[in-house]
Amino acid sequence: MIGKGRAAWGRYVLGPALGVMSMTGVALAQDAGGDAALVARGRYLATAADCAACHTTPHGGRPFAGGYGIASPLGSIYAANITPSKVAGIGAYTEAQFGRAVREGIRGDGARLYPAMPYTSYARLTDADIHALYVYFMQEVRPVDERPPATHLPFPFNLRFSMMVWNALYLDNTRFAPDPAKSAEVNRGAYLAIGLGHCDTCHTPRNVMMAEIGGKELGGASLGAWIAPNITPDPVSGIGNWSSDDLFRYLKTGDVPGKAQAAGPMAEAIEHSFQYLTDDDLKAIVAYVRQVPALRDAADSRPRESFGMASGREAALRGVSGTLDNGEKIFSGDCAACHQPGGQGSRDSYYPQLFHNTATGASTPDNLIAAIVEGVDRTVGGQHVFMPGFSHGSYVDELSDQDVADVGNYVLTHFGNPAVKISAADVASIRHGGPKPLLARVGGYIVPALAGAVVVLLALVGLVVARRRRG
Amino acid sequence: MAHPSFSGSGDVTADVVIVGSGVVGAVIAHQLAAAGHSVVMLEAGLRLKRSDIVENWRNMSFHNRVHSDFQGLYPQAPLAPAPLYFPANDYVGLSGPDGSAFQQGYLRTVGGTTWHWAASCWRHLPADFRMKTNYGVGRDWAISYDDLEPYYCRAEEAMGVSGPHDPDLQSPRERSRPYPRDMIPFGYGDRRVAELVNPHGFRLVPIPQGRSIQPFEDRPSCCGNNNCQPICPIGAMYNGIQHVVKAEDAGAVVLDQAVAYRIDTDEKNRVTAIHWYDAERKSHKATGRTFVLACNGIETPRLLLLAANERNPTGIANSSDQVGRNMMDHSGVHATFLANEPLWFGRGPAQSSCIVGPRDGGFRSSYSANKMILNNISRVGPATQQALELGLVGQALEDEIRRRAACGVDLSVSLEPLPDPDNRLTLSRTRRDPLGLACPDIHYDVGEYVRKGAVAAAEQIKQVAGLLGGTELRVTTSFNANNHIMGGAIMGSDPKDSVVDGDCRAHDHANLWLPGGGAMPSASVVNTTLSMVALGIKAADSMQADFQGGRA
Repeated sequence: MIGKGRAAWGRYVLGPALGVMSMTGVALAQDAGGDAALVARGRYLATAADCAACHTTPHGGRPFAGGYGIASPLGSIYAANITPSKVAGIGAYTEAQFGRAVREGIRGDGARLYPAMPYTSYARLTDADIHALYVYFMQEVRPVDERPPATHLPFPFNLRFSMMVWNALYLDNTRFAPDPAKSAEVNRGAYLAIGLGHCDTCHTPRNVMMAEIGGKELGGASLGAWIAPNITPDPVSGIGNWSSDDLFRYLKTGDVPGKAQAAGPMAEAIEHSFQYLTDDDLKAIVAYVRQVPALRDAADSRPRESFGMASGREAALRGVSGTLDNGEKIFSGDCAACHQPGGQGSRDSYYPQLFHNTATGASTPDNLIAAIVEGVDRTVGGQHVFMPGFSHGSYVDELSDQDVADVGNYVLTHFGNPAVKISAADVASIRHGGPKPLLARVGGYIVPALAGAVVVLLALVGLVVARRRRG
Repeated sequence: MAHPSFSGSGDVTADVVIVGSGVVGAVIAHQLAAAGHSVVMLEAGLRLKRSDIVENWRNMSFHNRVHSDFQGLYPQAPLAPAPLYFPANDYVGLSGPDGSAFQQGYLRTVGGTTWHWAASCWRHLPADFRMKTNYGVGRDWAISYDDLEPYYCRAEEAMGVSGPHDPDLQSPRERSRPYPRDMIPFGYGDRRVAELVNPHGFRLVPIPQGRSIQPFEDRPSCCGNNNCQPICPIGAMYNGIQHVVKAEDAGAVVLDQAVAYRIDTDEKNRVTAIHWYDAERKSHKATGRTFVLACNGIETPRLLLLAANERNPTGIANSSDQVGRNMMDHSGVHATFLANEPLWFGRGPAQSSCIVGPRDGGFRSSYSANKMILNNISRVGPATQQALELGLVGQALEDEIRRRAACGVDLSVSLEPLPDPDNRLTLSRTRRDPLGLACPDIHYDVGEYVRKGAVAAAEQIKQVAGLLGGTELRVTTSFNANNHIMGGAIMGSDPKDSVVDGDCRAHDHANLWLPGGGAMPSASVVNTTLSMVALGIKAADSMQADFQGGRA
């Protein structure tokens, strides 16, 4: 769903993002005649919601001018211009229209948005926060009078009105209400994690209609090339063995030596959003995540960060005649200079260790493969962590599918989960964006089925909505 | 996107035919392919994988490492040998009083010798372009520093050079645009030596480098493996292969194991085709509108001489008889000593700082300038060798290795030869490569200008060593090569005494360019690659102007 090259946007959120008003921010807000505190609040919320992830084109796109093609399994969905431009953006929106777009996926002109826009999460936002966001976008974001490309999904997905049915089934359009049985911190965390932060958008698996599956919240899902892992508090399949400090550090920096490093879309979320949240808000997210229902995958036997140990093979190899197998040779030539022959990484952990690492210990190799072919790119706290990918155009080496499989298997055997195996076909699949959901694979064939089903579905709508509201 | 078109027999037609896929050929290929021209590159050598070279390096012997074998770990195409020294393969025959000073290490491989350079990206000084006018020695270029300056900027931007933003640390200071990245920060040794020697006029400055401490585009940051030569294990150092891939993405096609050997010319002496042998020794022909030989300072003149034809009986582009003459390199010496305090060289990139005080001055009318690189290559190898020779064992051995590695200093001193027509590359009458093509012979004499410069440098070395409390000062007594090969296709305004014009276009052939080190009429004392690339980009602009003006 989210591919390489989305890493460098959003630098504009740097200084002011913590809600601590910079002098410039104050001045701008006052010039616009607005309430500086409200604008700062809106700015912070926009950062927490990571609007820029999609609405600002990476590598120098103007803030919130849209145009970035979100690579959905169904085709590119172009993010809208959400600057206050009256001709190309949302400048003419009333606050009510703005709220409907954000929380219900209904554009100002009445057209339906695709759920690439996580309005099913944002539906929980309070009116007060919608107001702050609206004021921020209208008063501080600079208008850009350029229209991004139009989205053209293949039939039948180009029928935006079909989203009305989808919304009837899957959009729970109720505002967040604190659970009185839970602490204020957990409630705050829930609002941040599921509302603004839309963690569930990636970490909750989806059904055949691309809607999140109830009862599997944060249970882990494939995002295409990358896996958003199970982050429920299960000690084997989830993050039950992580301390609160570990989780906090992960969200703040993307790097917990001996456990995990953020890459792919999670690196982007940390780079553009989480690192700028207040410590209290991060702790609230941690508190919330730690108390969601634990989900266990029967295939998991040990925590994914518990596999492997340092290797002593380097000393045994040198001076011995005979050739290394391809995987070990590539490991020695392309990996060991940074991750060290023993896999322990560098002392400052800029180059992470390969054992006790979720990428090598997971029960699926997707994130290991994706890290090798796409690389890792994460700028946090001014430090740019960068592992080049090993695909075409790599500054280090271009590896074939078989090469990646071989070196990946070497790493899994020596440092990770040895039961996991990678084939060249697995690598090819990840290179091409990972496994496609059923909806994308069946494409147009779904139309006749839908036509027949739609009557039944509509009949079910009332029931489902009613059930959801009860639950 | 334009692509070359291939016939069933393997002949090819393209707008632009480039021989050589090193940094110069690759940058030109990328520019012209991106401008919409079809481009084919003929590369004599193999296409290599970095992991193979790194693995070869890991398995290299201590002896080869300590003696800086940069060539042996690069597999060679069976039909396109390049120099080897462990043991010597005598591919290049050397003679003359300083023949041994011309033992060049260059690669014939896709991406070229920048696989194992040190990524130093120096500019010539403005004065270097006017040696005859300013100092009455050597030659003037056909262009000025100001003419080349915009191309220096473009070369630095293409290669992602980190250099000092502080003008006081720039050599030269004359720049129209800043370096793409600020200098690689000095290490402890650089800072300490600067404190000690700069008050005495030596002017230690950072070396501009084709690497960076933050990622540059998709190039990873340098983490100081200190292994630039013979191979950067992580791709953090600029390498011509990076522009080869960019050129291919823009539509260019690279043929490896394609050894060019013959050049056809028409009645107007325009080049019409270049012939090559493939890996099966089968001959093919590349026809086109624009031709470039970018095979660096030895293979370009060798090919020009090999390709002599009926209309050009002494060699292509050689009506002046200057092809293969004026061969130059920064013949240099090494000075090693132990400082009286630990300086810890060997952390960070292999080259970091350099003394440029003696780079220019009125003395250049009588003897050579020099620069002294404060080599930042780890001293552990030599320190170990020296400690073992002392017969030490156990803890004493370990302590001595540590002391020598920490205090060891190696100055790599480069001197500036003058272009001398008698320093000449010719075709061997006795030695042939596996395709039966004559190997190159080179006669070399560094000349009195360099010898006098070396005497002056020896005094400066003593002074520097003294300022660092140096002991065991050893200065090599014979000159060593620095792989900065220049002069063999020399640039000049007068077609009677030079091979190419200010765009590196051959005087004799309106559609043939010979960019690179061979064109450089003065050596300065600095590494040549940035000047070669700047000349390459300038040449590419003139090729594009010919296409646009209907002259190609």
